[in-house]
Amino acid sequence: MKKSALGQTLLYTGLVLWLLLAALPVFWTVVISLRTYVDAFSAPLKWLAPITFENYRGLWVDREFYRNFYNTAVVTLGTVCISLSVGCLAGYALSRYRGSLGFWLLIIALVFRALPHSTLLPSFYALFDALGIRNTTLTLIFVLVAINQPFTIWMLRSFFAGIPQELDEAAMVDGCTRFQAFRRVIIPVMWPGVVTTGLFSFLLAYNDFMLSSALTNADKMTMPAAIAGAITAESDTLLMQGVAGAVSITIPLIILVALFQKQIVSGLTQGAVKG
Amino acid sequence: MKLRSFAGFVGPSVFLMLALLALPMLMTAVLSVRNCALEMELVTVQQTGPFGAHDVTTQRAQVDATGRAVQTCQWVGLDHYRKVLGLDTAPADNTTAGAQVNAQINAQTGAGQPTEFFSALRFTLLYIAATTPFVLGGGLALALAMNRVTQRLKAVFIAASLLPFIITPVVGALAIKWLFRDNGLVPHVLGGLGVQVFWMAQAWSAQLLVILYGIWHVLPFAFIVFYAGLQGVPQDALEAATIDGASPWQKLRYVTLPHLMPLVVFVLMMHLMDAYRVFEPVMVLTQGAFTTSVQYLTYHVLLQEDNPYKASAASVLTIVGIALLLIPLLRKTWNEQRRGG
Repeated sequence: MKKSALGQTLLYTGLVLWLLLAALPVFWTVVISLRTYVDAFSAPLKWLAPITFENYRGLWVDREFYRNFYNTAVVTLGTVCISLSVGCLAGYALSRYRGSLGFWLLIIALVFRALPHSTLLPSFYALFDALGIRNTTLTLIFVLVAINQPFTIWMLRSFFAGIPQELDEAAMVDGCTRFQAFRRVIIPVMWPGVVTTGLFSFLLAYNDFMLSSALTNADKMTMPAAIAGAITAESDTLLMQGVAGAVSITIPLIILVALFQKQIVSGLTQGAVKG
Repeated sequence: MKLRSFAGFVGPSVFLMLALLALPMLMTAVLSVRNCALEMELVTVQQTGPFGAHDVTTQRAQVDATGRAVQTCQWVGLDHYRKVLGLDTAPADNTTAGAQVNAQINAQTGAGQPTEFFSALRFTLLYIAATTPFVLGGGLALALAMNRVTQRLKAVFIAASLLPFIITPVVGALAIKWLFRDNGLVPHVLGGLGVQVFWMAQAWSAQLLVILYGIWHVLPFAFIVFYAGLQGVPQDALEAATIDGASPWQKLRYVTLPHLMPLVVFVLMMHLMDAYRVFEPVMVLTQGAFTTSVQYLTYHVLLQEDNPYKASAASVLTIVGIALLLIPLLRKTWNEQRRGG
């Protein structure tokens, strides 16, 4: 293909412009998180200001944000593990079963995928209050797993469908039961699919705000729910700690993208190509 | 695979979805036609202060033998629906001046007003309609552009492009809010150009911000899907078109786009589902002052108004809304899956 100088300039200008737009909100949040309130929102705006870590210290030490970090870690890890265990079983069966029941299950899962989550909250309140399990981490984990299931089984099904049936049939001829074939033969070759699906379960649990803020009290809240105070921010200190919290939440995600970019891209396209 | 082992394998997943998705959905419908209130009783308590003791009559919730508050529930039919839809407050005669003023007030405000469900639905639909073309068009343009970037830069560019998509929605919305806040970066730069807008102080700009956030957040998803699709465009067809003298535009129109069409439908479907539940930007950027979305409405009624029964009515209406939106798409998936076996 011939490359005209003008075309190339336009191309790169456009792309750089997009990257600026994509990164600017995050970049500027990082910048102001290292400033005092007066420097962060001053008129006229300051491009450069003295750096301070006071917001982070206030958040992590005074407001004990590490507790929320711990909650997020537990909730996220729990959701990913349970989601994958349950989802792999179902995804595998859906890729191997030929009856119409499997088809129906997938359609129903698709309907659940579209369900706005807040519609479940009134019943969750009634249900969990009656059972006395509302403000617990485990309840939050299972709710997140359930909400994530439709997506998980669709995605895993399409990964499992890529593994030839002959593999499990051969294992079963050699004397494995269906479950042994699944565990010893199929799962080992499924790792890429499991990792990719796990990443998306991770993102869902980690990024959730609504369920954590509605189902747990302050002591069990995850990080996004905990910084919600910064939305209305009655005080400058609280606002700046919210800014520091926003950056604290984003750093693990940036590391994640850097490490797993390939899996995220393949995961996003997997459903598109096959599902 | 036999039905028995199939049932065993999908069992845990199906159980979770039934218990935590299907059952709550049914319960919502039941809750929405009921109303429960605490049983109150009048009691006389003796208050002892520094100036002596005296009796005060006050209200408190009745408590049963186990120490739980006693609630009485009653069937209220469609009362909550009427409240959410603003039907029982609508005056019979629409031509009076009072009704017109009412209608104007209702049109301008969000939660807590008689037409709260319709104003929430209206903004949700506006959000879907306003973001979709930019998400699809922008995603396609970005994918085509990225396809021509030299290999060395691609990884960095793609990683940076993914950032708005994977960022925690609350954090992303907050970042935009801080950018557009009074004395923030954007008002400063715009002020230099002579434009003065108080972004979060009026309806149109607050709504615009929510929509801008939506495009910023979802465009990378469309981009990645289209970009992957572009890698699969048959090269020989493109070459043949070049030899036949097709212009770059014609190649895009007649070779590339038809190839990408299934992906466009896929992105459209995902975006429709996700846009219908827009929540975080509405909450963060406007706190429901100028805009509400259907998800925000339920959340607000449940947590702020503390009325689970009315919230259930809003939920049921929300579910009906998404069902109506999705029927055409579901029919399509249905037919495809049937044909594909």
